[in-house]
Amino acid sequence: MAKLVKVRIDGKEYNLPEGMNLIDAAESVGIHIPNLCYLKGMKGIGACRMCMVEIGGRMSIACNTRIKEGMDIITENEKIKEMRKFIIDLIISMHPLDCMTCSKAGVCELQKYAYEYGVKKTSFTRKQFGFSIDDKNPFIKREPDYCILCGRCIRICKEQGTAVLDFYGRGVGSKVVTAEDKPLQEAGCTFCGSCLDVCPVNAISEADKWRKGREWEYKKVNSVCLSCGSACETIVSIYNNDIAKVNIGAEKGSIEYYLCAYGRFGFDYINSETRIVTPQKKVNGEFKPISWQEALETVAEMLKGPEQVGIVTTGNLVNEDILTIKNFAEALGIKNISSTVSLYADNESLLGPSVEIDKADLLIIVGLNPSQWDRVLAGIDVAIRRKVARGAKLIIMNSESSKLSDIANIVLKGEETDFISAMLKALNNSNIDISEDVKSAVEYFEKAENPLVISSTPLFEAASQFGLIKGSVVAVPLEANAKGTVMMGLKCNSKDYKDITSKGVKVLYAIGEVPIKRPDSTEFLIVQHSHLNELGKEADILLPTTTSYEMQGTVIDYQGNLKRLQKAIEPLEDVMTNREIFKNLADKMNVPLKVADTSDVIKIIEGIKLEFKNKEISKRTDLIYKPKDLISSINKTMIEGSRLFWLKEIEKITMNV
Amino acid sequence: MNEKKNLKEIFKDIQQHSCVVKQCLKLIEYFLAGPMCGRCLPCPMSSYEMKIILNKISIGNGKLQNIELLQEIAQNMFILSMCKKGKDVAKFIIESLEKHKDEYIAHIEKCCNKNECLALKIYKIISEKCVMCGKCLEVCNESAIVGEKKLPFRIGYIPFEIIPQRCSRCGECIKVCEYGAIEIVNIKELETVLVE
Repeated sequence: MAKLVKVRIDGKEYNLPEGMNLIDAAESVGIHIPNLCYLKGMKGIGACRMCMVEIGGRMSIACNTRIKEGMDIITENEKIKEMRKFIIDLIISMHPLDCMTCSKAGVCELQKYAYEYGVKKTSFTRKQFGFSIDDKNPFIKREPDYCILCGRCIRICKEQGTAVLDFYGRGVGSKVVTAEDKPLQEAGCTFCGSCLDVCPVNAISEADKWRKGREWEYKKVNSVCLSCGSACETIVSIYNNDIAKVNIGAEKGSIEYYLCAYGRFGFDYINSETRIVTPQKKVNGEFKPISWQEALETVAEMLKGPEQVGIVTTGNLVNEDILTIKNFAEALGIKNISSTVSLYADNESLLGPSVEIDKADLLIIVGLNPSQWDRVLAGIDVAIRRKVARGAKLIIMNSESSKLSDIANIVLKGEETDFISAMLKALNNSNIDISEDVKSAVEYFEKAENPLVISSTPLFEAASQFGLIKGSVVAVPLEANAKGTVMMGLKCNSKDYKDITSKGVKVLYAIGEVPIKRPDSTEFLIVQHSHLNELGKEADILLPTTTSYEMQGTVIDYQGNLKRLQKAIEPLEDVMTNREIFKNLADKMNVPLKVADTSDVIKIIEGIKLEFKNKEISKRTDLIYKPKDLISSINKTMIEGSRLFWLKEIEKITMNV
Repeated sequence: MNEKKNLKEIFKDIQQHSCVVKQCLKLIEYFLAGPMCGRCLPCPMSSYEMKIILNKISIGNGKLQNIELLQEIAQNMFILSMCKKGKDVAKFIIESLEKHKDEYIAHIEKCCNKNECLALKIYKIISEKCVMCGKCLEVCNESAIVGEKKLPFRIGYIPFEIIPQRCSRCGECIKVCEYGAIEIVNIKELETVLVE
């Protein structure tokens, strides 16, 4: 931690960390310095000049000032007020004044400051430009007429490595454009919508936001996107028991401040055609709606012979569900229980200590290939790119080519285990003969104070040997709550999974989006899912459950953080959560079952001791790590049931061209 | 055309204009076309606004409040610009406003004493001096001059006149007139004549 120094802000003394950005520092003691172009976590560029303050009697901008011992800062006096008013006045002279219908009203920063400084109308000439609107895609709408040229969208896009946007022209009349001013989908945009969250005005907004409630009418809850192993936090805005929009939930300025198109725009699928709204039973090859009473009785009847029953869950159920399922299986004596987590990971590969990417100064990526463009662990890709943009070093060990290589300090292409053993040998014995690249990688590792190794699950045991020396190591699973699934004590090993899903059990109980086909030997298939998927079509009975937006729970992300999902919308009438279904089933079968809640989950987490163990350096061959295929198959219903389908089609076309 | 000019050259360049309003207007036009980087917001926005106001003043649509507004903008721009370029431009305008306020006021009253703000000017043929030689008629590209050349055998002719709406104030007619019969007057003076 930086040392604390004494500074005076508006006449009061504060102890603040030296070298901290003045705007952030003032914010931390509850003083807001107005700004339109500052982005927390990034270097201030001083474009808008709104953050003018007086430091020791001299006018200076706050966004690129760092806290120093003995600073005397006045954040607002008559002169500064006058100046801020002048800037707002100038900006308003070229901004459409349609706040009464503007969908940004309420969270618009320009509106906020205009109100604060009492700028009712501009004293200058009104300027109108009449730029064309880009609304050629169903996600992001760009209206350059509203733009105040703060450049936030451009900078966030550049920092995360997509770099789609830039200024065209200078000064008044310039415009934020893509290359050759093409529509976004032709300019290589990934539709992550980061620009949308940082835009202070209505220049970039959700395409479907028009007349879907106003900002102050929204109820906001925190949630987590469960589409992939990044498990990004989200904020869900609800209007009339309907999701209006989803925004980034991570802290502003943190490296995880990101959400990909799946998390942000995939929520449409909740009410898509494939949604199962009542329990259904297959009679003569066709599904017939039945009552819950009948459905539960049928399932209870089928579960009576525990040796014949197999349960398969997915890795993106919440902890509480997993724990309840585990309790349920134990109460009934069902031994055949596994999770899709077993496909790519198990206890050994996931139970590493918690890590914090943000604190690392050297990142070593082993066998992992995250990509925003394929939406494979996109959140991790962005976090790594941000980390590098903010000064961390990056080493990549990969047998395949990785897009991250462009920004890496050292790229070690080849067998990962060879490089790991070479580096470890060199760390123990400096006289050993190694290649130039490995040598410099070792130097980086020795210099680093807090190195972090991020590996794929098959390579975790090999990579964890770095953790025995210094720093930390983490494996990235492909599903959002894979770590939680393992920590809750659900047995995960690939042999069991294969036994259940291919050799088959007589009664198969699949929960969630399980990417398998109905095994031949299965006589009765129960599918418990919110939507009708491929497996569901072959089921004998369908039990409808809630989606992640309709329940509350917790997940544990790859870093080991407990993230909470709040209930965003009321579930459909005839739909139950996984927990409720199992509770009802247990009641029907007269078996006592404890429905787990968050406190149980926390108790279990506290009871688990995580540490690195001495292991051989080898790649696990029993784990299949195919991120792209798996993530697209577990998100299939979501993609096909929402506007993401459009994106997939467009990407197919642009790829062929 | 002016893109490669730096601010120093621009300051030198604008000295060829003697009218202060014209000087400031040209300075800002050149500044916006060339050295202005657009990295901070107040400088381009203020310059753009000042360009509009100065333009208004130079074509005779200015009001007295415009001068105050101009002063306010320039002073704020001087403090708020990030770099020296913006500050220099703002300073020039502040000084020009301080030193020559009377000229600005004259412009608002629709008269440019240096005969440079052409929109405020009108070309007029003084019929007493005109010998009806017809030379001006020949050089006028805009067909703004009407009249009949005097021929010895004719009595009764149309006198020479300049139609202000057509006149582009190119000055060619003044150059060819050997008798000094064409002169530039302020719109204001013409208006008073008309009123009388």
